[in-house]
Amino acid sequence: MTDDAIWASQITKTYGSLTAVDHVDLRVPDGGIFGLLGPNGAGKTTIIKLLTGLSEITHGEARVAGFDVRRNPMEVKQRIGWVAAEVILDDDFSAWENLWLQARLQRLTDWQDRANELLAYFSLEGRKKDKVGTFSTGMRKKLEIALALLHKPKVIFMDEPTIGLDPGTRRMLWELITGVNREYGITIFLTSHYIEEADALCREVAILNRGRIVAQGSPDELKSRVQADFLEIDTREALDEPRLKALPGVKEVRSQGTSWILKVSAAEEVLPRLFAAIDPGKIRRINVEKPSLESVFIDLTGQRIDEAGGEVHDFRKFYANVRRARG
Amino acid sequence: MSHASEPGVLYPPTVVEEAEIARPASTGQMSQFGGLYYREILRTFRNPWVLVITVVQPFMWLAFFGSSFANVPLADLEALLHIQIQSYLQFLLPGVLSTSMLTVGMFGAMSTIQDKRFGYMKRILLTPTSKATVFLSKALGSATRGLVQVPVMIVAALAFGVQLNGSPLLWAGWVAGLVFLALGFSSLFLAVTASSTDWQTPGVISNFITMPLMFASGALFPSANFPTWMATISNWNPVTYSALLGRGIVVSGTANWLYLGYLAIFAAIMVTAGTLVARRYLRVE
Repeated sequence: MTDDAIWASQITKTYGSLTAVDHVDLRVPDGGIFGLLGPNGAGKTTIIKLLTGLSEITHGEARVAGFDVRRNPMEVKQRIGWVAAEVILDDDFSAWENLWLQARLQRLTDWQDRANELLAYFSLEGRKKDKVGTFSTGMRKKLEIALALLHKPKVIFMDEPTIGLDPGTRRMLWELITGVNREYGITIFLTSHYIEEADALCREVAILNRGRIVAQGSPDELKSRVQADFLEIDTREALDEPRLKALPGVKEVRSQGTSWILKVSAAEEVLPRLFAAIDPGKIRRINVEKPSLESVFIDLTGQRIDEAGGEVHDFRKFYANVRRARG
Repeated sequence: MSHASEPGVLYPPTVVEEAEIARPASTGQMSQFGGLYYREILRTFRNPWVLVITVVQPFMWLAFFGSSFANVPLADLEALLHIQIQSYLQFLLPGVLSTSMLTVGMFGAMSTIQDKRFGYMKRILLTPTSKATVFLSKALGSATRGLVQVPVMIVAALAFGVQLNGSPLLWAGWVAGLVFLALGFSSLFLAVTASSTDWQTPGVISNFITMPLMFASGALFPSANFPTWMATISNWNPVTYSALLGRGIVVSGTANWLYLGYLAIFAAIMVTAGTLVARRYLRVE
């Protein structure tokens, strides 16, 4: 347990009658990249807040970088870095002034060499005297990661690190994140609702739904657990459910109105039988989901990750998005 | 930027981490306080409008309000104000400087709410920085901002031909009084808005605090003319004591240091209470 960068036992957070995080256990070994995957409103950000001491744990215990989050929050905060979903920097300040302030806040005495090294690593050295307000989104993100690395933390928390970014910038960030993990040997704990992101970056993934961890393991492990394909079908009218179930190769049928999810042994074998059994004219849309983290989520919850998020009205995220769109 | 996608090429792979980065042995909060205080000051004065308003506002007060009794014979004015003066401006200057310390708190509260809204408060509190430090840096930051008005106002008064009495020592004492007043009110505002994230709160509270305390004080008119209830408020109001302390110095070159003591106690109580409230209620978002 002491070797783990993050260890949490049964952590729970309630706001009044709402349970945002429900008895979550976590073990993140030192030096890994761990991803918390789940829809909007599943409790990902709340878990980061609990682990970083920003929000008080209602029940349960957590240790980060070797210290108890509740008893020694300041010790924890000296050893963690944080990258926000929305870039949070002082726009009126230059890159160097932002680094200077971070150094003051982390009580660093000898930080200039480290700061220069980080600016060079992120190709920002030419802009260090420029106000951050003039930076592109990609550059701002990089500077934020540089701030998070300045004090040589043991663990970096990244909350939705690539939300709202264009594909090119996202790919660049993925490479930076794996690079930082490899070259600085820092444990990275990230949250995401992008399947590809968790798949591409994380050695281990925990899938979170409605405040609970519903599955945990390496992406490959999780995928091999499903051992089935999913057919998602939208139809114009209701189908004969018993008849669907009777098709050879169909393991399970779930329906919501005219949306159907069929868990099947192999999609390419079941599809011809499906078209023979029902009138193809009734079908509006069909989607085949081969084993992926998405199919894991579908298997566990009966919904796609982005759909599940739609149900939960997370106004704070909504406003954050509005702010981002404006800024 | 072109090689940004190849971080591994740019930087030679290092051996997994060296020793922890150097930190001073003490666990004090001076480093964080210095950083945050400097940030407040820099942020304020990098905004040209802040400077313009800081300079223009005292002139407006003296020009418009100071001229309201321009046609009243001095003897009548002295009878009304219960004091021998050179002009109404001489009477008004200490009062206006004192009341302007009332508004500094609003700016401190607004900058705190801005930090919460933009998430900067999270950035701060995810470092080993205590909420008390955040509070103190904000309170002192906005007090400092308010004090910039002091030299500007004095220059303005001289430009309007006001005669200023008192020795540098007396003036230093009065400026200390203004520091206490500004610190007290900025603490009060920050404490009241500690758990708020709404832009409108400081403005609303400011209306509730600033207006009554401005008029129920000896700052603009002598409290001898007030009805009993208003005189009672005025007798507790720290703005009164700052105005009286300053007026004694400006008008006749004498100071009642008890007033300074009162202001020091006011500041001490507000800063302490504010720190306690911030520790408990300062919310991140």
